[in-house]
Amino acid sequence: MSDASYIFKGARVIDPARGVDAVMDIGVAGGCIVDPGEIANPEVVDLSGKILSPGFIDLHVHLRQPGNNMAETIASGTAAAAAGGFTSIVAMPNTNPPADNAGAIEFLRQTAAQKGVVRVLPCGCMTKNYEGKEMAGIGSLKAAGVVALSDDGRCIQDHSLMRHVVEYAKSFNLPILDHCEEQTLAAGGVMHEGKWSVLLGMNGISGAAEELMVARNIILARQIGWKIHMQHVSVKESVELLRNARAKGIPVTGEATPHHITLTDECIKSYDTNYKMNPPLRSEEDRLALIEGIADGTITVIATDHAPHTRTAKLVEFDYAPFGIIGLETALSLCYTELVAKGVINLAAFVKLLTTGPAEVLGIENYSLAEGRPADIVIFDPARKYVIDADKFKSNSRNTPFNGREVVCKVCATLVGGKVVYREA
Amino acid sequence: MEWTRKDLLSLYDLSAEEITFLLDTAGEFKKVSERKVKKVPALRGKTVVNFFVEPSTRTRVSFELAEQRLSADIVNMQAQVSSLRKGETLLDTVRNIEALQVDLVVMRHSTPGAQDFIARHLKCGVVNAGDGAHSHPTQALLDIFTIREKRGRIAGLNVTILGDILHSRVARSNMWGLLKLGANVTLAGPSTLVPREFESVGVKVCHNLKEAVRDADVVNLLRIQHERQASGFFPSTSEYARFFGINRETMKLMKPDALIMHPGPINRDVELTSEVADGPNSVILEQVTNGLAVRMAVLFLVAGCVKK
Amino acid sequence: MTLRKRLYSPEEISGAVERMAGAIREDCRNAGCDDYALVGLYQQGVPLAERLCDALERLNGRRPPMAKLDISLYRDDFGKRSALPLIRETVIPFDVNDTRIILVDDVLSTGRTIRAALDALTDYGRPGVIRLAVLVDRGNPEFPIRADFVGFGCNPPSDHKVAVQFDADDPGENGIFEVEWKKY
Repeated sequence: MSDASYIFKGARVIDPARGVDAVMDIGVAGGCIVDPGEIANPEVVDLSGKILSPGFIDLHVHLRQPGNNMAETIASGTAAAAAGGFTSIVAMPNTNPPADNAGAIEFLRQTAAQKGVVRVLPCGCMTKNYEGKEMAGIGSLKAAGVVALSDDGRCIQDHSLMRHVVEYAKSFNLPILDHCEEQTLAAGGVMHEGKWSVLLGMNGISGAAEELMVARNIILARQIGWKIHMQHVSVKESVELLRNARAKGIPVTGEATPHHITLTDECIKSYDTNYKMNPPLRSEEDRLALIEGIADGTITVIATDHAPHTRTAKLVEFDYAPFGIIGLETALSLCYTELVAKGVINLAAFVKLLTTGPAEVLGIENYSLAEGRPADIVIFDPARKYVIDADKFKSNSRNTPFNGREVVCKVCATLVGGKVVYREA
Repeated sequence: MEWTRKDLLSLYDLSAEEITFLLDTAGEFKKVSERKVKKVPALRGKTVVNFFVEPSTRTRVSFELAEQRLSADIVNMQAQVSSLRKGETLLDTVRNIEALQVDLVVMRHSTPGAQDFIARHLKCGVVNAGDGAHSHPTQALLDIFTIREKRGRIAGLNVTILGDILHSRVARSNMWGLLKLGANVTLAGPSTLVPREFESVGVKVCHNLKEAVRDADVVNLLRIQHERQASGFFPSTSEYARFFGINRETMKLMKPDALIMHPGPINRDVELTSEVADGPNSVILEQVTNGLAVRMAVLFLVAGCVKK
Repeated sequence: MTLRKRLYSPEEISGAVERMAGAIREDCRNAGCDDYALVGLYQQGVPLAERLCDALERLNGRRPPMAKLDISLYRDDFGKRSALPLIRETVIPFDVNDTRIILVDDVLSTGRTIRAALDALTDYGRPGVIRLAVLVDRGNPEFPIRADFVGFGCNPPSDHKVAVQFDADDPGENGIFEVEWKKY
């Protein structure tokens, strides 16, 4: 909560949940959105030319704490989130030890309360030690405050177990966020299986590995009638499966990452390990299919899969480098540049992908700037051109191939509960 | 043209002109090996480290002899990937090597791109002696050198590379070199080991032996690794030999003067029968001889461009 | 702009070649040796050796055997240049052992090329006597190497280059030139 009060004037306010897209004044007091007319002694901020929207939600963040504080901590990761315009982030449970029990969730909540600058929404494992063998204590996880379940980084291969997890999760009203990957078709792979893996002599991860598990999840979601969200969708066929399933009313959703809509497997010919992530960068055809999926509403969420790794960990042979790319501080610029600046979607549709889209997956209702709501706000400048400089990142890690890339659209300020948690220098 | 590269990583990086330059230089070194005094002082005072992070006998011996004939000082280092991964990183290891005032690192590694990675961080020259299934430029150069020596040209020749293309750095390197010099390249073998994706760069992909060898001027056979059988790529080496091995009968389908090549070590009666391996069309041992000349040429040129 | 000044014309070169051939014949005759051979050093020593062979053929009615020698593998400035030229084909159509050899190069400057050539030549055998013939001796030796047969002497500043051109497409480009390299 913050005692500061503001009136933001002149910004174009985009509030998708209420269908608002207009220049208007927004008042903030007592940590909440209020009627600007009712604030005594506010700081008035002129935001002409800027966009103001509900703070972004990232469904897919690896904070690495506990286990790998060198790569990221709850403090550094949430600072990075704030710099990227995110006011709520879902913390993936594959920490070390993993968040498969109530104690781990309690640690996360307490540390986030002390050190975090944005809202950290805990996610629990579906299975113990996310090994895909035995169901985790899902009820206890719910009681400890998780908002979703995921074995991210791995995928439950046993379909029967997955079915039980989904059924059980439904009874606790917890959405499933699934990393869709059939293991045998991905085994030993370090990049997308396709022209470039063949030319470079690298082991490929077949697109079919993802497609199979997306299909599996669609079947289970239909049969059980419960929400399964497909994390980091990367291949064309997954988009098609999702499109058909959603048309039939099956409760499935999908997210795309900034890197999968901007880069392709060809980048790997440089052997830069910053291009190594899982799912891997796919073909140009897949990239275009993701963008099409975003344009037609098949994909409703942009999530970063922010996966920090130290420079040391990445400065090895490509085969031995860990999978992962950071994304919190580049997501807005990269996606805006790729989607809005290139005319694929309009600004209002774009803001949805970062706000109401993820909110719906988590079952958060009325995620908006309505009066009385917490003042979680992002202000950004869509006209700002700049060059990404990883040295300025708040994240502990620098594993991004986007350093030096020219992009457009920049976060100006981020408020969580009415408190300014990031302001551009 | 003049040679300006301090590293030789892949034939994909080279122009046709550069490849021809290497082959021409190798021709002069072949003559050196035919003299009474087979040694030249070109790399006198230079230190070359043969750093093999994957076992190798032939390639290492060939490089070592080439270095000796150039009068270089030689250090041999072998490492196991497993121990390297437990201890210091590859980059730290090669930086330590470089700190010993080394001029060239000849490196083999089991993963693709390892040499590209270290070459970016080193001032000394790097010669790729094989990186995973990616690249083995000196092997391809010696293959192409042998073909050119026998046929007088590369452009317009039909060259078939037969075997486990998927896992072969020899195939990938030959493919780029041959394509750049204007050959018609066919990649052939079982469909599980010869992906169609290769067609995207202008080679022919063929899963039928007869069709693959019929018009070939050169058939380059690749070693079949037994472990591929265990991974389910083909049922057995005997079935491989039956459908993709070269024997007296398959030789009858081919042009009478077609060259039979193999990077070695050969599996007799798997990729080819002894009659073929030891027959008049086989240039397998000449490839070994030429390998020395090619490696001398590569080491000489690359070492000449290392700035210390 | 680089300065390029012609020191001697093709006609003057022809005259010098004749004189050098006469001297070589004389020297060999005095040594009682008729079986001598010429070894031209790439690049411009080769055409010069050919001209000397022509002249000796005219004088003797018999053409001495001639070799072409590339000394790239014997140079002492290896690794000091940023680019390497193609190695040219060494052709030695006679037995080097015990043969009287006239090494031929266009310009004698530091003597380093000749040092390399001596090393190269001795890797092919053990020559009898080796003499050195150069078209121009520019007189700034760094090694204790002197020519036995010299066409011209000259003494340009040390940062100038002396270049010989025999077979340019434009005959006006032939001759011996003093070139001042523009410093960068």
